[in-house]
Amino acid sequence: MSSAVAIPLLVVVVGFVAGCLTAVVRDGPPRYLPKWAWALVICAAVPWGGVAYLAFGRTRRPGIPLETLAPVQPHDPGGPPAVTLAPPPLAHRRPSAGPVAIEVSGLTKRYGAVIAVDGLSFAVQPGKVTGFLGPNGAGKTTTMRVILGLDSPTGGTALIAGKRYRDIIRPLHEIGSLLDATAVHRGRTAWFHLLALARSNGIGQQRVHEVLRMTGLEPAAGRRVGEFSLGMKQRLGIAAALIADPAVLLLDEPVNGLDLEGVRWIRQLLTHLAAEGRTVLVSSHLMSEMAMIADHLIIIGRGRLLADTPAAEFVSRARRDVLVKSPRAAELAALATARGATAGPDDSGGLAITGMDAPGIGELAAAHGIAVHELVPRHASLEDAYLDLTSGSADYHFEPAEGVAVR
Amino acid sequence: MTARLARARDALAFEWTKLQSVRSNRWTLVAAVIVTLGITVVIAESLASAPANRPAPFDPLTASFLGYAEYTVLPVTVLGVLVFTSEYASGLIRTTFTAVPRRGSVLAAKAVVTGAAALVVGEVLAVTCFLLTQAIVAGRHGGLSLSHPGVPGAIAAVGLALAACALVGVAAGAIARHTAGAIAAALAVVYLLALLCMFLPDPWNTRLGRFTMPFAAYQVVSLHPRAGLLSPAISVVVLVAWPAIALLAAAAELRRRDA
Repeated sequence: MSSAVAIPLLVVVVGFVAGCLTAVVRDGPPRYLPKWAWALVICAAVPWGGVAYLAFGRTRRPGIPLETLAPVQPHDPGGPPAVTLAPPPLAHRRPSAGPVAIEVSGLTKRYGAVIAVDGLSFAVQPGKVTGFLGPNGAGKTTTMRVILGLDSPTGGTALIAGKRYRDIIRPLHEIGSLLDATAVHRGRTAWFHLLALARSNGIGQQRVHEVLRMTGLEPAAGRRVGEFSLGMKQRLGIAAALIADPAVLLLDEPVNGLDLEGVRWIRQLLTHLAAEGRTVLVSSHLMSEMAMIADHLIIIGRGRLLADTPAAEFVSRARRDVLVKSPRAAELAALATARGATAGPDDSGGLAITGMDAPGIGELAAAHGIAVHELVPRHASLEDAYLDLTSGSADYHFEPAEGVAVR
Repeated sequence: MTARLARARDALAFEWTKLQSVRSNRWTLVAAVIVTLGITVVIAESLASAPANRPAPFDPLTASFLGYAEYTVLPVTVLGVLVFTSEYASGLIRTTFTAVPRRGSVLAAKAVVTGAAALVVGEVLAVTCFLLTQAIVAGRHGGLSLSHPGVPGAIAAVGLALAACALVGVAAGAIARHTAGAIAAALAVVYLLALLCMFLPDPWNTRLGRFTMPFAAYQVVSLHPRAGLLSPAISVVVLVAWPAIALLAAAAELRRRDA
């Protein structure tokens, strides 16, 4: 309960009791309570449930969008403590159980008529950051919840080091997770939030200090989480995920809503953790975030696997073409097509040729005396490749407005 | 076996740390204690000066717990409800289930911690309310001592009843998940069923009403239990059965549904 509610409530309650007592003392013992006093007693008795609900029931203030909570507060220790990155407590680390840390096979999850995950299979290897990508509603969070034993799958399995999550004893030692950084009790301090989690898996207070230091939250440890900015809550969530020094980390959209500094901090942290030999699975719906973090990509759409590939390979496999601008573009297009390439108009007014490299096109043009004004080899960005892959599977599409160019 | 013990200890430490680290929980209990004591004094004063020719025979034991029956039971039941619903509202419940994946362990730990806290508060308040009331009514009605036959049992049962109400709250919170609905459900069991039964036509009001928690509690704290209701011993069973059934339902529900 916020003190704004607690104090007036207490004043009213104590005042009422004091009033009753003084009435008793001043007038001597009353012959029965007068009717109005009984009415008062009853009136005070009835609304208790409602008062308690108003005071304690609503743990979140409604209507405050996350964005407005985000700006770094004056107390925010938030300058990213890049230097305080993990004092690697590796001496006591157990080696991970096998080469495959997370194994999802044939996973299906149905909510009524909706299929959130549809026969999904993939494995996550230790030692690198694996990006888990998909458009909104692709089933990323559902998959993670099934891995964590929160939801039971309709079919298939999700194993961590060969075991179901629910069968792991003291699971925080095996796998640390962050599903939703705002899922904390507003009234509890960061210290007690982490201490409770530590105790749940037989971990001592020392480790709570350690993770607070690692995430730069030590100065804010005694403050209640309700006062935290979103960035600080994300740090608290990461601290909670690291509380038992797990070999596997599973983070759902950890950079969502963070400023650039925060994103950089998480990127450094994750790279560092993976370099220590841990398994890191990070979900996101933004390729641009993943491009900076991930070594390996698992991409899903509508609950199905679209790609499971090293990030570098994903880019190289992606579409590439050559942009040509020429006064005799039509002739050049015909020539290129005759040699097995495909040519089509580009949005910029030039000619996009796929299937031939730039020198080949240049020589072809020269051999036929065609002037070429521009000859630009182009790689699709990671972002474009991702959009190509997932465009068929997004739940909601934005139709370009009439008459407005898409690019 | 030792592994199971360690797991139980972990889960209990987890829930205890969470319960004790939220200020509102402490404030609720403090406020409940202050209000109960105040109301108990007021009621005792009014009874001490009541005319002797009142229609009902005066029962100084029951009179000790009139304030307690509302001003302690209500906030503690709500506290029990919030043990689950506050976690569901914030999403913390998923963190809880990742830390302790067995739903049954979480429910058991929450029930033990909440029930124990309610039991301690309930017993301390029961003794205090009893002594206060007897001291005030002693001049007129003679008052009872702690060693009077039936009194120790009644005081023990009063604390137990509070723990039972808190546990009904815990179970309701686990089943309904939303605070408002869970409070309504818990209060229905703790108060409203009895109220409904009182409106039934004559033989049926006590015939059904005796199986509700308020009637059972009333029998347990009466010096002269009313005929037509259940005996005090069976009333204690009723007081235990309600939370037991509710918790079993909650356990099944927690296992069945996704978090």
